[in-house]
Amino acid sequence: MTVRNVSRCFVRLAPTRLPGCMPEGHSIPMKHHYPQRSLGRSPRVVSTSRRRFLQASAAALSGLALSNCRRGISDVQTGSTSNNGTASAQPGTLHIYTWADYTDEGLAQLFTERTGIEVVIDIYDSNEVMLAKMQAGGGDAYSIIYPSDYMVEEMIELGMLSELDHSKLQGLDTLFPQWQNPSYDPGNAHSIPMSWGTTGLLYNTTQLEIEPEDWSDLWDYQDLLFRRMTLLDDMREVIGASLRSLGYSYNSTNPDEIEAAYQLLVDLKPAIASFQSFGWEDQLLSGDLALVMAYSVDAIAATLEDPSLIYVVPKSGSSLWTDTMVIPKSAPNPEAAYAWMNLFYEPQVSADVVSRLFFATPIQPAFELLPEDLQTNDDLFPPDEILAKCEGIAPVGEAIELYDRLWTELASA
Amino acid sequence: MSTSTPPSPSTLQPSPPPAPPPRRWLRWVQPLLLLGPSGLWLVVLLVLPTLLILDLSFLPGLRPGAAPPDYGLGNYLQLLNKTYRDVIGRSLGFALITTTACLILGFPVSYWIALKSPKRWRVLLLIAFVLPLWTSSLLRAYAWVSILRPTGVLNSLLSFVHLPTQDWLYTEVAVGIGLSYSFLPYMVLILYASLEKLDLRLLEASADLGATPLQTFWKVTVPQTLPGIAAGSLLVFITSLGDFVVPELLGGASSTTMSRLIYNQFLRVRNWGLGAALSMLLILAVSIAIALLMKYGDRNATKA
Repeated sequence: MTVRNVSRCFVRLAPTRLPGCMPEGHSIPMKHHYPQRSLGRSPRVVSTSRRRFLQASAAALSGLALSNCRRGISDVQTGSTSNNGTASAQPGTLHIYTWADYTDEGLAQLFTERTGIEVVIDIYDSNEVMLAKMQAGGGDAYSIIYPSDYMVEEMIELGMLSELDHSKLQGLDTLFPQWQNPSYDPGNAHSIPMSWGTTGLLYNTTQLEIEPEDWSDLWDYQDLLFRRMTLLDDMREVIGASLRSLGYSYNSTNPDEIEAAYQLLVDLKPAIASFQSFGWEDQLLSGDLALVMAYSVDAIAATLEDPSLIYVVPKSGSSLWTDTMVIPKSAPNPEAAYAWMNLFYEPQVSADVVSRLFFATPIQPAFELLPEDLQTNDDLFPPDEILAKCEGIAPVGEAIELYDRLWTELASA
Repeated sequence: MSTSTPPSPSTLQPSPPPAPPPRRWLRWVQPLLLLGPSGLWLVVLLVLPTLLILDLSFLPGLRPGAAPPDYGLGNYLQLLNKTYRDVIGRSLGFALITTTACLILGFPVSYWIALKSPKRWRVLLLIAFVLPLWTSSLLRAYAWVSILRPTGVLNSLLSFVHLPTQDWLYTEVAVGIGLSYSFLPYMVLILYASLEKLDLRLLEASADLGATPLQTFWKVTVPQTLPGIAAGSLLVFITSLGDFVVPELLGGASSTTMSRLIYNQFLRVRNWGLGAALSMLLILAVSIAIALLMKYGDRNATKA
């Protein structure tokens, strides 16, 4: 994990197209249309986000175990990338705003080779942070965003997403049937699925005698896990898991149920080391932490790195999420965004990315191209009986204010 | 030419013709040119945003994307809830503890550097103290994570010398350590500047008159450096009150401070109204501290 994070940190050199070269609505020109960029112009250094700068300096400066630099830095840099983002939006650049594990240097380079368009990637660590930045106008540079299912629904309601022109997209018909017409975005009108997964518990067998199987084990074994477990820094996932352990829905809007779930979390809080979604790998491996609540994407990458780590989807069910690609209405370069989506939907490209980053693909031909050990990996592609108990997170309407208030109180207590 | 005799008028250069009286327009153009850029900077990047936040803070429970509520004091009233009072109290507590710790740790160091250390080493010693400030505060916070974590440097050392290990990471202790470490150099610098100007003859006089070293310290040294102590303490108090990185990284699930709560309100739960009210409260607290700094801390500078 660490190595992958850091490798993503370095500033990318990429050719820039001169502004104004691309007429609006023009299809993406290929490289050779732009001889200007080789006429003695040194390639522009893409201003990197502060996070990547810091990660790079962290890697360079210290021999310390800085694997968790992803967490926290994002918290600090959110303001600064917005400047970077809005200032440098140009027709020849594709600005992408995504989760940490969905793109890598290889994919971005391939895209630049094919289209001559440079890619600038900024990273967020929660849907809510992404939405807040978009609403504050700090995300006008982005042509592609990767919101999760419930956030797609919310952004559609807020009128932030442009309707996709399906005639410009390839491969939508190759999706597995359950993503052909998802409930969060019927007919994939505004979004296309790019990854799916579960949320569960990842634990280190060298540190724990027990084998946690369900959410309730967090409470039952809290003495063993005392201050050696982390929960996601994700309001809906954490309150949802607590709701689920009480037998309620992840999407409960009943104030009594939500309050009860909150009370359970208040009881558990002293035993929680921190709320963090990313960057726990190093501490989990060294034994500082025994168990973390994690998204399957990150958990699987960790289990493949160290077999003493086990990922479980809790018995009583967990959240089943889909992450998507969308084009916001403010996108400066929608054509490049379509090109990016189409590149990602090429089976071989997608299969390669999945083999490097380990997320479950909803694209059938890409799945078929995966190496067999990934295809049969039950963490990555859980059997149907597990999936049947899982539930997608959906917007909860007005009740979100109660969630927000209780989450704040949980964090502040 | 001997210095005792005044120069005769004949040896003086003819005095230059008196400068023409400054033109009237210069009188306002000059300050405009000199102050304009920084003034514009301040207005656009500090005053206007602060006013915007002030405006937001009077919209109870304002959420982006929702219809703006009517103006009211709801956000400020909400801050009176126990949850938020606790957070505000905790922030002030951290700032006070940090200030005290920095003063206790910083004074002996500054005293030694300013008065006892060999003169040619002084600058080097000071630079050594300020050196950590050259790296990012974020990196320094991460370094403390590696030190304080259960299997980290501190516990390896403690178990090596057969002392009980400590589980400090993600507790308030870790935040206190991190904050004190971060702001100690500022305290040392300011106290050094103040101690360096100490009139040593007064210390000798005090000793001559029979005061014990302790009496001399409390009755002569401390009163003379009081402005420096006030300046250093207020500066550390202000900066630690608003610090975000250290409580966020070392505090874990505990230790929510005002700055973390503000971040939370703006980015996680999108209650911009409450976040703005918290920000205004923080700005108010810092402004009071700065006013005190200007009143009590500055004498030192004017005396020099």
